[in-house]
Amino acid sequence: MLWKYVKKYRRQYICGILILFAVDMLSVYIPQFTGEVTDGLTTSGFTSSDVGRLILLIFLCGLGMAVGRFGWRWFLFVTARKIEREMRDEMFEHLTGMTQDFYNKNKTGDLMAHFTNDIASLRVAIGPAVISSFDAIVMTVLVLTKMILYINLKITVIACIPMLVILAGALYYCNVAEKYYTDKNNAFSDLSDRVQESFSGVRVIKAFVQEKHEMEEFDKVNSKNRKMAMRVVKLNMVFGPGIELIIGICRAITIIYGGWQMIEGQLSLAQFIAFNQYIGMLVWPMIAVGDSINAFSQGRAAYGRIRKIMDEKPEIEDTGKDNDITSLEGEIDIRNVSFSYVPEYGNVLDDISVHIDKGSTLAIIGKTGCGKTTIANLLVRLYETTNGTISFDGHDIKEIPMDTLRTEIAYVPQDNFLFSDTVQSNIAFGVRKWMEIPEEKFSLAKFRGKETIIAEIMDENLKKRAEQVDKAYGDLEQVEEAAKTACVHDNIIEFPNKYATIVGERGVTMSGGQKQRTSIARAIMKKAPILILDDALSAVDTDTEEKILENLKTDRKGKTTIIIAHRITTIQNADKIMVIDDGKVAELGSHDELMKLGGIYARLYEKQQLEKMLDEMAE
Amino acid sequence: MQDSTRSSSSRRCWMRWLNEADEVSMNHRKIEGNEQSIFARLMGYAKPYMSSLILATVFMLITTALELYAPIVLGDAIDSFTEGAEFPQILNLGLIYLSALVGMFAFYVGQMWLLGKMGQDIVYNMRAEVFAHIHSMHLGFFDVTPIGRLVTRVTNDVEALSEMFSGILVRLVKNAVKIAGLAVVMLVMNYKLALRAFILIPLIVILTFMFKRISRTCYRITRTKLTAINTYLSEHISGMKIIRIFDREHEKNQEFKARSMDLFKANFREVMVFGIFRPSIYLLSIIALINIIWGGSELVFAENSVAGTGITVGVLYVFIQYVSQFFEPIQDLAEQIGTLQQAFASAEKIFMILDEEPAIVNKTEADKTENTSGGILGRIEFDHVWFAYNGEDWILKDVSFVIEPGEKVAFVGATGAGKTTILSLVGRYYEVNKGRILVDGRDIRDMNTDELRRAIGQVQQDVFIFTGDIAGNIRLGNSEITDEEMKKAAQTANADSFIEKLEHKYAEAVSERGSTLSAGERQLLSFARTLAFDPKILVMDEATANIDTETESLITEALERLMSGRTTIMVAHRLSTIQHCDCIMVMHKGRLREKGTHQELLAADGIYKKLYELQKAAG
Repeated sequence: MLWKYVKKYRRQYICGILILFAVDMLSVYIPQFTGEVTDGLTTSGFTSSDVGRLILLIFLCGLGMAVGRFGWRWFLFVTARKIEREMRDEMFEHLTGMTQDFYNKNKTGDLMAHFTNDIASLRVAIGPAVISSFDAIVMTVLVLTKMILYINLKITVIACIPMLVILAGALYYCNVAEKYYTDKNNAFSDLSDRVQESFSGVRVIKAFVQEKHEMEEFDKVNSKNRKMAMRVVKLNMVFGPGIELIIGICRAITIIYGGWQMIEGQLSLAQFIAFNQYIGMLVWPMIAVGDSINAFSQGRAAYGRIRKIMDEKPEIEDTGKDNDITSLEGEIDIRNVSFSYVPEYGNVLDDISVHIDKGSTLAIIGKTGCGKTTIANLLVRLYETTNGTISFDGHDIKEIPMDTLRTEIAYVPQDNFLFSDTVQSNIAFGVRKWMEIPEEKFSLAKFRGKETIIAEIMDENLKKRAEQVDKAYGDLEQVEEAAKTACVHDNIIEFPNKYATIVGERGVTMSGGQKQRTSIARAIMKKAPILILDDALSAVDTDTEEKILENLKTDRKGKTTIIIAHRITTIQNADKIMVIDDGKVAELGSHDELMKLGGIYARLYEKQQLEKMLDEMAE
Repeated sequence: MQDSTRSSSSRRCWMRWLNEADEVSMNHRKIEGNEQSIFARLMGYAKPYMSSLILATVFMLITTALELYAPIVLGDAIDSFTEGAEFPQILNLGLIYLSALVGMFAFYVGQMWLLGKMGQDIVYNMRAEVFAHIHSMHLGFFDVTPIGRLVTRVTNDVEALSEMFSGILVRLVKNAVKIAGLAVVMLVMNYKLALRAFILIPLIVILTFMFKRISRTCYRITRTKLTAINTYLSEHISGMKIIRIFDREHEKNQEFKARSMDLFKANFREVMVFGIFRPSIYLLSIIALINIIWGGSELVFAENSVAGTGITVGVLYVFIQYVSQFFEPIQDLAEQIGTLQQAFASAEKIFMILDEEPAIVNKTEADKTENTSGGILGRIEFDHVWFAYNGEDWILKDVSFVIEPGEKVAFVGATGAGKTTILSLVGRYYEVNKGRILVDGRDIRDMNTDELRRAIGQVQQDVFIFTGDIAGNIRLGNSEITDEEMKKAAQTANADSFIEKLEHKYAEAVSERGSTLSAGERQLLSFARTLAFDPKILVMDEATANIDTETESLITEALERLMSGRTTIMVAHRLSTIQHCDCIMVMHKGRLREKGTHQELLAADGIYKKLYELQKAAG
């Protein structure tokens, strides 16, 4: 996977590395020319035109390096960012292809970490670390060659011995620092967890008057955190100045040994000055080597984690994708269906059989956790049945292409999940096909450092863009119609931006009932032959519920509807009512038939009548 | 190239980005003018460490002086070479240089240690203060403030200050001193060349600050984009089911790509800003070098022809060294001012929390002394109590009743009738709006809250499990409760039966999120917790969760033991518990409607009778 990208961008890599090489070559010349000037000034016959010539050379070197430095940034940093982006896209695409089991296994937080931390580590390894390591190697070789050829071997060897200490130190430091920083971060997250728990349990703490004890407990993590932070401080406190000390030792050796060599006539002043500068140039490569070794190993670990996710295959294959079934009539047959999420925990559904005629309404009722939602999940093939078959119009569910199945079924799930988008976009969610929307341009000059304004502008941009999207699709009329059927239109037009209002944290926070009705509108908008309402009216008051059911009656005329509910009032008019108890079909029939039976259904009815009476009692 | 690796900072988890983005929008009302007062208040925290701060500043001044002095030694060495010095003289210079460096190292380490320690100590103290302050707040505060925000105050916001105390403050002084020092030394050595060197300074300053501004804006934009994509990811990973059900995988992939591109563009811009700035600064430093060589060599020529009119080569060399040193402190300064601003922003948020007054405080000094000798008998009286969580939304309307010591009273009623609120008010977690609550004839507002709450044992419906072991969750860290007492409490509460079955018994690790305890077991644990503290008054919110029959009988038995000899106020759901009470109070829509024993109320044929029938029907 990674190799593919490196191959794709190999030209950029090669160019970048070549430029890097050239910049390093140039950089050695500046100390040399500077040395030549100071050297020349001590000799007679050195004129200002000589100075001018050398100055020009220095300038040209500097200019070349400046351009080159921009160049390798362009080739290598930008390429690393490009690869990062493409991998991010590929990962997301992979995620949208995965089935429910995958999401049950992998927590959202963990998946997010792959997108943030792991990709970032990987990017460092394929971008900056490549530069650091190449740069370090090239620089070391070049500077050493210069030192040996232009100056002399003896002083190079003697003066550079302390450099090895830096290299060893950098390697050691990167290793230890990694551990210390991890410890520090762990101590910090322990602290966060402790604080989080303490504030979450504040009611218990107050009730048992344990504030003092909490302080003591907090003091432990707080002290630990301080200790770990101090370890890092101590490490950096020795390492940073330590490097300077070692360079200083190199310089002192140069002064003493170089001075001796000069007296002996083995070294000129220019060589001495240049040598001093070369020593300075060796410091960075020594640190960089340690640093990039570290970055590479982290990148490798991150890549391993990403690979693990990318290698997972979806559990449900689109087995019917080649069949030519493009629409469904609405007849459903569920035959002897059993299902278990985890085999060891036994069946959630046990031998369920029911036939739903085209255009009829089936209601499913039962206690929480009895398996009602599972039936709905099986119908849209989020899971495969363990035993038995589900068929639509006589076709087995496995023979129907996944996109046909899901286009032809409109589903209102229990959890009313809405996206942080406009109300209009949310309702039209199931209908819109992808369309390219031009990006909002915004210039840097507008912000001029006023940081708090940026968030506002970004919010404004979000809104503008969302409105632009809705306008581009031009489906407001249909959306309104669906909203009216779901009895949410009146609420929406009271929102500040009506249908262009953003739902969620950045816009309007909808009540549970409004969310539920919006979610119903989203399903209605699909005008699909099959509609499944999974406990979709629980947060709606009885009057509105009645109205919605009335609207649905006309809207769903001739189409199949499945209603899962708790309240009898919601379902008593259904053609067929199925009572599920403990995963089995306990009762099946119309309202009147079930009332006559005097079983679970009849008892439930009685209870709900009592509740209603109590509710209607005056204050 | 130092900007190339910033790997460790990216390790922060994405949640924090989300959090901070939220803060940005929260802080629009930031007042610009109060930076001085924030600074003054922050410095208050450094007061106890004044001696460290002064000592560190002295160390810093010494290091800076030595830093300025070291190149002079090198210059002297060069001059002595040209003058044909003897080896001992050179050796001497080398040793002086070396001792200057060792001195620099020692003082630098000393300075970093002093400051690092001070910074961490201040962070530690502030954390303890903020944590304690938040715990002193009333429950209503926790109802309206998101826990996540409070956690951020104690963790990240305080962390942002550590850098200010341990680094920025002194480095600001250091850089200012260094710039001034460099200027003075250069002026003294040769004012003509010095003035020539200063020409470029305004340019460096302008370029640096301009870059800082642009780069910070870019960084902000990138971060906002990153937040946007992370929010998008977490939302869509959670909503993946909806995407699949509505067959929108393709659309969402495209949408993600567009966002991913947005982020890439922001990253790209950042790379470009650095890509242009870094080489430009480099080029500027080359120009500065050329400038000095040019002017300097003229002066050397002058010196060569007429002694005393110019400078020696050694002086020129020192100037060359100094000029490159000029760049660093100026760029540092720009960086530090930015960090300082961030620290101020964090400090402001922290002070905002610290300035929030707890609404429930003990009235006078005299009441703060705990009156443990007498003890509380447990007579509770509500005297025309009105209560609303906000405004005029009355939850309790004119409620009055008296409970004698040792009496057992149950509150019943439909959801939202105000039962649970009564329990919270007894422990003074909220203040009543009208009327008063008396315990043993004393208004609870005149009592010490610790004393009051210690006398009240709370059995919560939702048992909060702290991370730790079972024993720790029973005694809640109160070391006064011995192991025997703790185990006895567990036995009396019937909790020992399940605890003994656990692998590590009382040492079994439990936590809120990773808990394997069933609802019934949690309830028993909660009984044990309450018993261990041996309260006079028992306040109980009975769990409504489904509990298996075996545990149910354990609970009933434990409950009887728990209530014996204690004044008990409970919100009851089970018929079995209700019937054993001395008095049943029926709440309906905020008012106390009926009152009496089970038989009396049934005979009255009112609300209670309805509730009773409902229970029977449901059971």
